[in-house]
Amino acid sequence: MTEILLMASVVLLTLGAAFSLKDARIGFVASVISAVLAVTSLEPEMYFFGALILVIGLLNIITLYLSDNQIKGIDYAIVAMLIFATVLVIQSTNLAVLIGTFVLVSVPTYVLVMLSENDVKLEVGIKYITFMVFATVIFIIGTFLLVYSHSNMNPTLYVIGYVLLILGLGLEVGIAPLHEWVPDVFSAADPIPVSIIASIAKFVPFIVAFKLIIATANPVTSSITMFVAFLAVLSMFAGNIGALTSREPGRVLGYSTVANMGYALSAFVAVVNFDLIYLAIAGVLMQLFANSAGKIGFFTAIKDRGVGTPFTYTFALSFIGMPPLMGFWSKLFIVLALVYSGYMWLAVLLVINSAISVPYYIRLAKELGEGWGYGVVNLVALIAAIFILMTVYPPDWFLQSVKGIVGTFVVAGV
Amino acid sequence: MILVYFLLVPILASLLAPFLNPKRATHLVSISFLIPFMAALVSLFQFSSYDFPIMNFSPPIGEFYILVDPVSNAFGLTVCIISAMVGYYSFPYMIHRFEEMGLGEEEYRKYIIIYGVYAASMLWLVYSGNLILLYIFLEISLITSFLLIYMYGYGNRRWVALLYFVWTNVAGVLTLVGFLLTAMDNSTLAIKGISAVGMTAWLLIFVGMLVKLPGLGPHIWLPWAHAEAPTPVSALLSPLTVGLAGYVLLRMYLIDSSFIDTYRDIIMVYAIVSSIYAGFAVFRQTDYKRLLAYSTVSQMGYILIGLCLGTFGLIGVVIQYMSHAFGKSILFMTAGGIIASYHGLRDVRKMGGLHEYIPSISNAALIGFMNLGGILAIGMFGEFFILRGVVDIYGSNLMSYLPLILALVFIFVLSGWYSFYTLRKIFYGTPRGMEKPRISRYLDLPLYIIGILSIIFIFPPLITVLLKGIKAVIGGGI
Repeated sequence: MTEILLMASVVLLTLGAAFSLKDARIGFVASVISAVLAVTSLEPEMYFFGALILVIGLLNIITLYLSDNQIKGIDYAIVAMLIFATVLVIQSTNLAVLIGTFVLVSVPTYVLVMLSENDVKLEVGIKYITFMVFATVIFIIGTFLLVYSHSNMNPTLYVIGYVLLILGLGLEVGIAPLHEWVPDVFSAADPIPVSIIASIAKFVPFIVAFKLIIATANPVTSSITMFVAFLAVLSMFAGNIGALTSREPGRVLGYSTVANMGYALSAFVAVVNFDLIYLAIAGVLMQLFANSAGKIGFFTAIKDRGVGTPFTYTFALSFIGMPPLMGFWSKLFIVLALVYSGYMWLAVLLVINSAISVPYYIRLAKELGEGWGYGVVNLVALIAAIFILMTVYPPDWFLQSVKGIVGTFVVAGV
Repeated sequence: MILVYFLLVPILASLLAPFLNPKRATHLVSISFLIPFMAALVSLFQFSSYDFPIMNFSPPIGEFYILVDPVSNAFGLTVCIISAMVGYYSFPYMIHRFEEMGLGEEEYRKYIIIYGVYAASMLWLVYSGNLILLYIFLEISLITSFLLIYMYGYGNRRWVALLYFVWTNVAGVLTLVGFLLTAMDNSTLAIKGISAVGMTAWLLIFVGMLVKLPGLGPHIWLPWAHAEAPTPVSALLSPLTVGLAGYVLLRMYLIDSSFIDTYRDIIMVYAIVSSIYAGFAVFRQTDYKRLLAYSTVSQMGYILIGLCLGTFGLIGVVIQYMSHAFGKSILFMTAGGIIASYHGLRDVRKMGGLHEYIPSISNAALIGFMNLGGILAIGMFGEFFILRGVVDIYGSNLMSYLPLILALVFIFVLSGWYSFYTLRKIFYGTPRGMEKPRISRYLDLPLYIIGILSIIFIFPPLITVLLKGIKAVIGGGI
């Protein structure tokens, strides 16, 4: 049944893209149905993840609907493909499929980043594609070295594989010191495609990397986790200091992504202690969800001035980590995982970093907010805000649900 | 049980308030705080003590519940009455402030919702039955008060707001790390489930709360924040927010007193030095609000002192919190009254003989200073129990007992001394030939309501019920 639904989803999004040359609305409808089909292919215990991904994905599709670009109609299918890949990666434990989803989520963004209302942004595109191709290659080499060294018990290769995997991930999502492209691309490209790259495209790389690291964990791992901790701290500081010293909203959000990826990456050190690994997984996933909703909201506000001040403040407070918004719980889960793994200093640095981010988020909320918020763009902002406010009811359900799917965070045959 | 549902009223009212006009919004928010006030008072009379479960969280976090007992009721009713009265007070004051800043009345919508959430978060904090829940409300109160200073403060308000935020957030982070260490040892953060708090965790929580309280040293943020905040915010910050650090320490003490027991003498000496230093610093201030801020540092020293003095000291902590809250909120509101009447007048040197022109505010200030000095107001009992605590803890050792008693008496005298010094300088003496302003009822009536409450609290049945209830929680004989 799962395979049939997934197949139907792919066929539908392809047909939708093809027929959207006639009428863009066909592409829209087909992409939405395809996304829903993909999510229904999940096992019941993963529905929570599917439902949240669907909200983020549909928000991306709606923002595309509200703006114009050169490939109207096909762009919806691209988002549907990202949703498909994200749904696939959470349920799969097959190494080939995992690598496949990584490529599947990376390539469509090459097209997305060049789109805008007027001209094709070739320069941004070339810069972005160059970095992404490197990222994909490094990531895949790292993956194979990790898996190979694990079966051969070769510690040197393991360390090399681990480092390459993390560097590939870092280049792909924008973790310091490989984050240079992020602020440039985020400020130069059109805000709507960037909001997609900053939101739904971030899940797959993290999930693949986390599954691989958990699957190949061995006694050597604890000696190399310091590397991850170091990159995470570097990323937090580079992101926050960069954002504090930038003026342009797109650039600030780019640096904010760097910082947020640092928070998510820090949870990877939890592999040294498997008892509470679900806290780390829940933290990473929720951090990505909180980041996605906030980024979609902020980028929509950059595109169409007119998103209400209450919404922009909600996004800003969630990024700051104000309880009981989603950004607080994600950081709390990560911090708990860090404390349990014995990385107290990292936990403290994380919380300090979320404190020093306050000035620029408040500034963004002030600059981008406009009045009370009426009009169509505010529908997107409203859904994003409700998404973030969902955790006003303490999200124990999220923790429990993640506990139920910890079993899928392995790679078959490794 | 009804109290628990009434705790929701302020939150709902604050969310509803922006849709009304400023006057109605003010009434709605203020009345919404009077409802849980009555409920807390009734609950105090019934000596209720129960847990109201909200939800179960996975192991390291543990159960979330509402903790109702006489101690939280005593803190809760103080928070409620002051939030309600300052709510009324902020209506004319903030409208005036918006005019000054060139903003329209529309701005009041933003103000009232942040104000309501700020006050409600402090109310929920004292009823939180889980340390994470408590931390959540601590942070909400921090961010909302930060926003209020950032948007409507005086002087270099953005810089002051950031100074305030950074210091108190560092305090929050240290405390959170302490809580998480506790979670590791007990695998729960529900207050009833924690059996022991490790020394490192205690130290982190203690230092964190010391920054927030604040003690001497980390206190440098306080005079700035409390002086430059818009006055209604000062009137919540100084009386309610900082003292809640004392509440957190009290709760931690009731769980596990090992840290205080070990370092009692050091903390005691530090608290006394802190209190005396800040008391003398009051005389040097020329800005009325800054003067009150230093007096807060001095008064918070009492709370630290009480914490070191066993059962009686703890009773002293609760009463001192109430008395300081009543007194200081009245005083900050008098400062605001002068600012509103005389176009931003804050310089003490330019005041004098104000009783002649604004008698209603001057008389309220007298009640406020009586509270600080512990004269014929509830503060009297706070001082009594702190002295009784010294007898209890140090009574056997004459060498430490006598100097301590002398030091404490000196502190109490110092408080009365700077109180009347300030009172004379500002309100009495030769009138300066100012004009007589028209004072809005909203700017003086709330002060008297708090003042009257602070006085009737020294009479039975209120005082007897309060003391009996607190004793039941803290334990120990009379």
